Amino acid sequence: MVHFSWKTVAFLAAFMALIWACSTSKDTPDPTPGPDPNPSNTGTDRKVLLTNIADNIILPSYANFKTKFDLMLAKSDAFAAKPDQASLTAFRQAWVDAYTEWQKVELFDVGPAESKTLRYFFNIYPANVTGIEENIVAGNASLELPASYPKQGFPALDYLINGLAATDDAILLKYTTAADAAKRLAYVKQIMTQMNTMFTAVQTEWTATYRDKFINATGIDVSGSLSKLVNGYVLNYERYIRSGKFGIPSGAMVNGVPSPEKVEAFYKKDISLILAKTAHQASIDFFNGKDVKTGKEGPGFKTYLTALGAKDSQSGKLLVEVINAQFDASNAKLGTLKPNLYDEVKTNNAAMVAVYTEMQKAVRMLKVDMTSAMSITITYADNDGD
Amino acid sequence: MGRYWRTYTSAAPLAVFRIAFGVMILGSIVRFWAKGWIDELYIKPTFFFPYYGFEFVKPVGDYTYLLFAVCGLSALLVALGWFYRLASVLLFLSFTYIELMDKSTYLNHYYFVSLVAFLLIFLPANGYFSVDAYRNRSGFYEQIPRWTIDSLRLLMGIVYLYAGLAKLNSDWLLEALPLRIWLPGRNDLPGIGFLFNYRETAFAFSWLGALYDLSIPFLLLNRFTRPFAYAAVVVFHVLTAVLFPIGMFPYIMIVAALVFFPAGFHQRLLALLGGLLRLPATALRLAPHPLKGAERIGVSKPPSGGGGLYSTEQATNSGIPLVKTLIYSPAQSRFLLSLFIIFFIIQIIVPFRYTLYPNELFWSEEGYRFSWRVMLMEKMGNVQFKVVDETGQQMMVNNEDHLTKLQEKMMATQPDMLVQFAHHLRDYYTQHGFRNPKVFADTYVSLNGRLGKPYIDPTVNLAQETDSFRPKKWILPFGDEIKGL
Repeated sequence: MVHFSWKTVAFLAAFMALIWACSTSKDTPDPTPGPDPNPSNTGTDRKVLLTNIADNIILPSYANFKTKFDLMLAKSDAFAAKPDQASLTAFRQAWVDAYTEWQKVELFDVGPAESKTLRYFFNIYPANVTGIEENIVAGNASLELPASYPKQGFPALDYLINGLAATDDAILLKYTTAADAAKRLAYVKQIMTQMNTMFTAVQTEWTATYRDKFINATGIDVSGSLSKLVNGYVLNYERYIRSGKFGIPSGAMVNGVPSPEKVEAFYKKDISLILAKTAHQASIDFFNGKDVKTGKEGPGFKTYLTALGAKDSQSGKLLVEVINAQFDASNAKLGTLKPNLYDEVKTNNAAMVAVYTEMQKAVRMLKVDMTSAMSITITYADNDGD
Repeated sequence: MGRYWRTYTSAAPLAVFRIAFGVMILGSIVRFWAKGWIDELYIKPTFFFPYYGFEFVKPVGDYTYLLFAVCGLSALLVALGWFYRLASVLLFLSFTYIELMDKSTYLNHYYFVSLVAFLLIFLPANGYFSVDAYRNRSGFYEQIPRWTIDSLRLLMGIVYLYAGLAKLNSDWLLEALPLRIWLPGRNDLPGIGFLFNYRETAFAFSWLGALYDLSIPFLLLNRFTRPFAYAAVVVFHVLTAVLFPIGMFPYIMIVAALVFFPAGFHQRLLALLGGLLRLPATALRLAPHPLKGAERIGVSKPPSGGGGLYSTEQATNSGIPLVKTLIYSPAQSRFLLSLFIIFFIIQIIVPFRYTLYPNELFWSEEGYRFSWRVMLMEKMGNVQFKVVDETGQQMMVNNEDHLTKLQEKMMATQPDMLVQFAHHLRDYYTQHGFRNPKVFADTYVSLNGRLGKPYIDPTVNLAQETDSFRPKKWILPFGDEIKGL
C-alpha cells in the first residue's frame, strides 16, 4: 500500500475545507433580506425576461397585427361585395398596412407559431402564379401542403390585387366581368380565411395556455423558451431577412446571378424596402427588449447579455454594444437603398449585396457570440464540453 | 518491484467492477436506443466524419441497430461473466466501432469505456462471482494477481490526473472560463440556483474542480481519506450531472471509483448481492475441498509443463477454507505485463502530443481529443462554404442539406472536420456537374467568451488540403494566448 500519511493530513484538511465551503455556501440562506445585493441577479432571471418578452413584446405585437389584419379582412370583404376602384384601393392600403405589421411578428418563431409553422401560411415568396391560377380554376384547393405555401398569404394577395394586369381597370375586370371572376373572388376569400384561422389559432393558444408555459420554461436546453426564442430569432434574421430579402434577390447567395423577381412584394414593388426595414428594426427592437406599447427598453436579450457580463475581452466593449453597432452598420446600408428593391437589384445591385454582407456580420454575432455567451444548447445529444 | 508482480489479492473488487461496468454500459446502450439517437445520429445523416486511419468504419444502415444490440448483449454477458472472454472482445470491438463511426459524437467518457473494455479482455474478471466460474469450477479463482486490479485504478488515476492537469490553464483558473458562462444558465435550479449568478461561484467551482481532479486518485488510494474522497466523488459527479448534459459519465465514474475500495468491502457487497439474488454459496467460494488437509501452502512453484492458466489451492495453517489463486505462467505473465506496460506508456504520452503543434491547442484542437480535456471550452462557430468550379459556376452551401445540427456544430470549430466536409462537398459537386471544384470556407469561431473571429484562411482551397497529423497551416492565428498545460 502506498502511504501518504504526511500528505494525507494536508489533503484531508483541504478537502474538509472544500466540502465545508461548498456546504455552507449552499445551505445558508441569503442572510440579507430585502433587495438583492447583487444587481445582476434580476438581469439573469430568465423568468423576468421571458415575462417581459411575452407580455410587453409578443402578445401586444400579435394584438397590433390582429387589428391591422382584421381591417384588411374587412376591406377584402368590402372589395368582394363590390369590386371597384375605391374598394380595391382601400383593400390595397389595408394589405400594405397588415403586411408591414406582419414584419413585426414574423420573428416570434416560437410556441404555437413554430408548431403551426405560421410563417408558411403568411409570407413565402415569390408567389407561385401558375399554382394560384390553377387553384382558382379548381376552386377550393387545399392550402395545407408545403407545395401550397407560395400560393397563399401576403405574396399571393400581392399578385391578386397588384399583379393581375398592368392597369387597375384591367385588374378590376378580372373580378367583375371575367368568366372566372366569382372563382377569383372566392380564392381571395379562401386565402383570407386561411390566414385568419391560422393566426387566430396561434394567438388564442398563446393567451390561453402557452404564455404560462413559455415564461416557466426557464431552462437553457433545447426545450427551454430562451433557446427556442434565440433559435427562431436568429433563423428569422439569417434566412428570412438577410437571405430572403437581400441575399437571394441580389444573387449574393446563388451563383452571383441576380433574381429581381424574387424580391418581397414583387407586384407592389415600391414597398419592398419599407418591409425589409420594418423587419430589420423589429429584430433590433426585440434584441433590445423594447416594450411595444411604451417604446421603453426592458428585460430582453440586451439586459440578459449585459447581466451575464458578455463583452469582447480584447476591446472591453460590451457584446450588446458590438452587436448594436453592427445593426447600425446594416441600417446605414439599408439607408442607401431606394424604396423599390426590384429596381435596386436591376440597377444598383452592389448596394443590395452590401446590405447582405453587412447583415451576414450581424448573423455571426447573433449565432456565435450571443448564443455562446448565453450557452444556449442546440441539440439534445450528450456533451462533455466541446 | 519483482515481488509486487507476485502479490495476490481477492478477486472480489474485479468481479464487482466487471458487474458494475457491464450494467452501466448496458444502461448506456438502452438509454441511447430509447432516446432514438441511433436513428438520429447514425442512420438519418447522409455524411459521417471518420477518424484518421479509420475511414472504413461507417454506420451500416439499419444493421446499426444490430451493432448496438451486440454491444448491449455483450455488456450484459460481461456483467454476468458468461462467455466472458468472447463477450469482452465483442464489447470492446462493438463499442469502439460505434464510437469510430462519427467524430461528431466524440466524448471522452466513450473513449474511457473503450479503454476499460480493452483492458477487461485481458483481465481475469470472470474468475469470481460469474456464470463462467459457476459452470466451470476449474475457472474459479478467489485470489488473482494484484496488478490486475491496480491496472484499473491506474487508468482511473490517469483520467482524473490528466483532467486536473488540463484545468491548470489561465482561462480556467484566472477567468473561471467556461464555467462563468455556463453556470448562470442553471440559475433557475431550485435551492442552489441563485449561487450561479455570482462570479465567485464559478471561481470556486473552477478551483475546487481542478483540486478535485488532481488529488482524488491519491485520496482514494489512502485508506484514511478514502471514505471522504468517495463522498467527494459522489458529490462532484452528481453535481456535474445536475448542471451539465453529460449523460451517463458521472454515474459510470461514481461506480467505477468503487474499485479503490479494499477487498472486504467488495466481498460484503457480493455477499449481499448473492443473498438478494438467492445465489448458491458456491458463487462466492469454492465448495469444501475433498483434499482438505493435504493442501499445499503459500504461493507454490508452477507445475512443470502445461501452458494454460493454472492454479494452486492454498490454505492457511489455521485450516480456514481453501482459497484458489490464479497464477499466470511466466509466458502469460510476460505477455500480459508487456501489453499493459505499453498500454499505459501510450496513455501517459498521448495527451502531451499537442506540444508537437505550434498552434494554440484550444483554438486549433490539434492533439485535443483522447487527452481527458473535459468541460474546458465554450466554443461555437459558424461556417459558410463556397464551391467554385473552373467555369466560374459558384454555389453557397447550405450545411443543413448535408449535416445534422450536432455535426454542423462540431464541424464549425474543428479543422479536421472542416477539411473532411470540404472534401465531401468537392466530391458531391463533382457528381453534380461541377468541374474540378474549389471549396472555400468563410468561418467565424468564438472561444471562451472572446469575440468571434475568422478561423480558417478563406483563400485556401480546402478541396486540395489533406487531413493528417501534420500541423494545419491554414488555421488562422488565435491572436491570444491561453497559458498552461
